[in-house]
Amino acid sequence: MSTHLIEVIITNKKGVRDPEGETIHKHLILRRGYSMVSRVRTGKYLLLEVNAENAEEAVKIVKELCEKLRIYNPVVHDIELRVHA
Amino acid sequence: MPLTNEEIDEIRKILGREPTVEELAMFEAQWSEHCSYKSSRILLKLLPTDGKHVLVGPGKDAPAVKIFRDYAIVFKIESHNHPSAVDPYDGAATGVGGIVRDILSLGAKPIALLDMLYMGDPRDPHANWLIRGIVKGISDYGNRIGIPTVAGDTWFDSSFNTQPLVNVACVGVANIDDLVLGAPKPGDLIIIAGNATGRDGILGSSFASKPLSEDRDKDIGAVQVGDPLTEKLLIDALQFLVSKKLVRYIKDLGGGGLTTAISETAADHGLGAVVHLEKLHTREKLSPLELLVSESQERMLIVVDPSNSRTVEEILKRFDLQYSIIGYFTDDGIIRVYFNGNKVAEVPAKELARPRPIRRASTPPQDALKGLKPIFVLPPEPKYEEAILKLLASPNIASKRWIYQQYDHEVGIRTVVKPGYGDAAVLRLLDGSRRGVAVKGDANPRYTSLDPFNGAANSVGECFRNLVAVGSKPIAIVDELNAGNPEKPEQFWYFEMMLKGVAWMAEELRLPVVGGKVSFYNEDHMGRQVKPTTTIVGVGRVDDISKAMTVEFKEHGSAIAIIGVTYPELGGSEYLYRLFGIEEGEIPRPRPVSEIRNARLIQKAIRLGLVNAVHDIGVGGLIASLAEMAIMGRLGFSIDVANIYARGVQRIDELLFSETQARYVVEVRGDRVDEFTKLARSMNVRFSIIGRVVDSNRIVITSNSKTVVEIDLDRVADVYNNSLEVELEGEA
Repeated sequence: MSTHLIEVIITNKKGVRDPEGETIHKHLILRRGYSMVSRVRTGKYLLLEVNAENAEEAVKIVKELCEKLRIYNPVVHDIELRVHA
Repeated sequence: MPLTNEEIDEIRKILGREPTVEELAMFEAQWSEHCSYKSSRILLKLLPTDGKHVLVGPGKDAPAVKIFRDYAIVFKIESHNHPSAVDPYDGAATGVGGIVRDILSLGAKPIALLDMLYMGDPRDPHANWLIRGIVKGISDYGNRIGIPTVAGDTWFDSSFNTQPLVNVACVGVANIDDLVLGAPKPGDLIIIAGNATGRDGILGSSFASKPLSEDRDKDIGAVQVGDPLTEKLLIDALQFLVSKKLVRYIKDLGGGGLTTAISETAADHGLGAVVHLEKLHTREKLSPLELLVSESQERMLIVVDPSNSRTVEEILKRFDLQYSIIGYFTDDGIIRVYFNGNKVAEVPAKELARPRPIRRASTPPQDALKGLKPIFVLPPEPKYEEAILKLLASPNIASKRWIYQQYDHEVGIRTVVKPGYGDAAVLRLLDGSRRGVAVKGDANPRYTSLDPFNGAANSVGECFRNLVAVGSKPIAIVDELNAGNPEKPEQFWYFEMMLKGVAWMAEELRLPVVGGKVSFYNEDHMGRQVKPTTTIVGVGRVDDISKAMTVEFKEHGSAIAIIGVTYPELGGSEYLYRLFGIEEGEIPRPRPVSEIRNARLIQKAIRLGLVNAVHDIGVGGLIASLAEMAIMGRLGFSIDVANIYARGVQRIDELLFSETQARYVVEVRGDRVDEFTKLARSMNVRFSIIGRVVDSNRIVITSNSKTVVEIDLDRVADVYNNSLEVELEGEA
């Protein structure tokens, strides 16, 4: 057993709007002249410290708990799980 | 719901040729149940919709009633049941957005939101997740657009575990002269203002017009995300345009998107339209079909006289609101849609907007017998202390603090009577006078599922009583009928009976039903309908907000009176369900004549200052009302149930827990009891003085001086205040 740091990134699915990102983009970034930025998407970030045999198992546990505890809504959100280096 | 073969044949007949794909999509969106009311339209004609206060009845985005000589109230109810089942947070939030835009369409200023939520068992994990998401979605959106959520209604029942009912209402005020009541004219420009159109909610209304599919991922196209910032800009910009009298007509782009907004506006005024789709501002590249039926939120159609267009454009720009001028109205009744110069659709507006109504088959199911069965044998009498605490712990009775504390109910400083303290919310008109408006929403899913006719009538009665209890005069109601699948006769029957119940009771109480909404296909994956539910939202006139009445006991030594007769009506009661799991039996009768007579007494007693507190008797019966009055007032009471004016009652539980309608508990001022008694007698109202408010922390209930129960108020208050939170969050 060892400790693994697992990152969870939750964003709205590609086809689903993200008004918060749009607002930051339009009302802040573009207004201040950063016209090279063409899109902003926001999301939620979680960092979990997990005790598990190995990193794959830690990811599996986190994936399951995110689904079971409804930390994200699979209908609306994409979820990305990463092992923190 | 895709078009049926017969409908496609009918479309061929209307057009005299094969329809294009764009035309088919337009018909599919507009002929969906959600937009066209095709299954309900014939029956909806039964509702009384007129009256001396009615300025705008059903048919527009929102109705308007005259509340004072110079002021109108614009209010409307809406359901977002299906979107909330898939994505509770955004589904509920966008429901709020939609109902607010309906209010804007008449040029009114939105001042209050109400949420009527019928949700699953808080201990079921999926239902619990839905509840949290729904409440958060409403509160975030409402708080961000700065409109307080002031009142509502909540019910928890496992039939709503996967398909909740999310009904939201908005109340707006306007000077009568400022209401936007004009009609578009040929040549007027069509402006779409607000969010850029995207692929959101493509055919979402058609999605709401079918049962939820097992595989929810497939419904992704119908998910919409709320954008409260744009909504706020729309609210501000439209009010400004209206105040400058620059717009002729406003309509929300809701279900059915552009297609519905244009076809209904054209059909309602005998017009046609020319639309150039490529002019619409978009977020992504869309096909003409998608442009026609996208249900992107926070968009509105504004109709402007061409001579005002430049000024309107300048104002929209100043408010930083995106817009596009996409076409104009014509006088030939035909909607012509072009995309980059190519004609993609040419359809007659009337035929598109109004499909032929359908009279659906309607049959009572076997289950309906449950509501006809008299309760001829009761379970053994319980221990009363335990029974009372159990009942007050029911999530349907316990304080809804967990919910309304998430809402900002004071933005705008209009709120006089806050959630929890009155039977209805009371809001200031804020015109410098003491005038105000009372609002409340009510339903009882158990009643309507057992006996849809009487249950729906009772929702009207309950709303009426709640408005009366705060000292207002009820003016009008809107209704939301949440029903099952209209294609199934045994489910449609519930809809038909609920509607007839509302129509009957509203007429008897002389409360016009000025608008409303129908939501069908509220069934789970197994095709079982959720408890069919009639939600009623009413508004009342308050002449003097300083006299607005609240429920809490105010002083010890005052007398406690019950207005109305108590009958042994325990069928469908919270008591039988919560203590014995019994969910059947004749529900309490609607009693319109007693309602009117008793309401007059309450109104007069409030006006004369004879009473300190008024609370209607509803779910949970007499004991629930008394407990709430004591808890909120932090004063105990002592009553003798033998003094209750009752008929046919054999047991104490019938007195304490019966949910007989047309009743109120009032706290009569200690020094005005004689006056009150005289007044009640002179008005021929049944009443009984049953006890008094005491200067201690005790609740004492006796029967012919023999103690029935004696409990500490603190214990009762603890159970009442904290049970819902425990249900939702688990034990601490």
